Amino acid sequence: MNIKDYIASGIVESYVMGLATEAERSEFEQLCTRYPELVAERRQFEESLESHATRHAEAPPDEVRAKIFAALAGMKPEALSSDSPNRAASASMENRNFRGSLAWLRTVAAAAVILLVVMVVLYIRQSRQNADLANENSRLKETVDTNQRLIEKIRQETAVVSNPNSIVVNMTGTKIAPQSRANVYWDSTSSSVYLVVKNMPRLPSDRQYQLWALIDKGQKDLGVFDGTDSAGANVILKMNDTKRAQAFAITIEKKGGSPHPTLDSLQSVGKTELTQ
Amino acid sequence: MAMPSTYTEQELVRALKDRNDQAFSFLYDHYAGALYSIIRQIVSDNAGLANDVLQEVFINVWRKIGSYDQTKGRLFTWMLNIARNAAIDMLRSKGYQNAQKNQEFPDTVYKGASGQTVQPNVDHIGLRKVLEKLKPEHRVLVDLAYFKGYTHEEIAQITSIPLGTVKTRIRNALIQLREHLQ
Repeated sequence: MNIKDYIASGIVESYVMGLATEAERSEFEQLCTRYPELVAERRQFEESLESHATRHAEAPPDEVRAKIFAALAGMKPEALSSDSPNRAASASMENRNFRGSLAWLRTVAAAAVILLVVMVVLYIRQSRQNADLANENSRLKETVDTNQRLIEKIRQETAVVSNPNSIVVNMTGTKIAPQSRANVYWDSTSSSVYLVVKNMPRLPSDRQYQLWALIDKGQKDLGVFDGTDSAGANVILKMNDTKRAQAFAITIEKKGGSPHPTLDSLQSVGKTELTQ
Repeated sequence: MAMPSTYTEQELVRALKDRNDQAFSFLYDHYAGALYSIIRQIVSDNAGLANDVLQEVFINVWRKIGSYDQTKGRLFTWMLNIARNAAIDMLRSKGYQNAQKNQEFPDTVYKGASGQTVQPNVDHIGLRKVLEKLKPEHRVLVDLAYFKGYTHEEIAQITSIPLGTVKTRIRNALIQLREHLQ
């Protein structure tokens, strides 16, 4: 490219006066980085345009200046004072980067909105998760409590069964119930009575087995229990305590038990060692 | 801090980019008149409109100073173009509401090519005065392009002059205009 011809084409004037197209502008700017004479030509025209404009300046009305500076003050947190250099100086220190702080504010505002949305989403998700976890937690707690009670019961039962003080009374079936089998574990020191049901046939729903302690011709009610179909289930039942017993007996009674045993329904009986 | 009575252009630009209030006062006091003049030449005799445009220009200068690139031209050139664009925009938005009506273009504007008055009722000040020294066919095109803000294509349509001729004539007109500035 002949830069002299380029300069002579009027592009410099066209560019400076804002009449060049976008393509012409970028070409001109590109060439300016390579041809110092083009830059010099541009500056020369700019300066003559500027000095001409300055020579032909027309002072705007005073109130325009006041309006402009008031408008600018409205764009800033503190007034931009043109008549008080000291105040203006301190104001300028504080408001030096007004545009920057505006951009910063926008960024902060945008970030705050995004953060808020994210927090709401997280909060909702967290709440759901919390509710799920709370449900899960109470389920687990129930299970643990149940297991705890079960373990405690088993521990007590095991303690009774393995207690050397316990007397094991083998309850054998009577003639009318030869298949009935149960063991009574009786801790005479603590009076605790446990019944291990080995085989007591299931009864009609209005009937229950009842355990008795036979003491000096009398009978003491030790509680009722249900039969079980599964032989060898070894269900361990905690019965009522008794301090004394020469024998234990099991009868079939109406549901809930009777105050006195129905002896003709005697299913099993076992004597304690104390009577022997 | 003492208020500097004058700045080099470099110092002024740096101070403006730092949002220095004194620098902005300095800028207004030194350039408002020149910019006001060009605005007046564009919006013609409407002083109220020119005041509004000048205010808009200085607010825009304040807002956009961060994007001003010294390698692409002088500060005044940059502000002059802001002023010119703002004035043309204002003229157009007001023009649509008021005088524009159905009239696309006053005949006198492009019939100026055959020697008639280019633009009646305009103060012949500043660049417009320089424009008077140009040949009428040049004067019309510069008026449409620079003072009215029409693109070369629009001017070609309005004046029924081929686009290439419009472009060449405007370039030549600007070269002549430059000679008359000195």
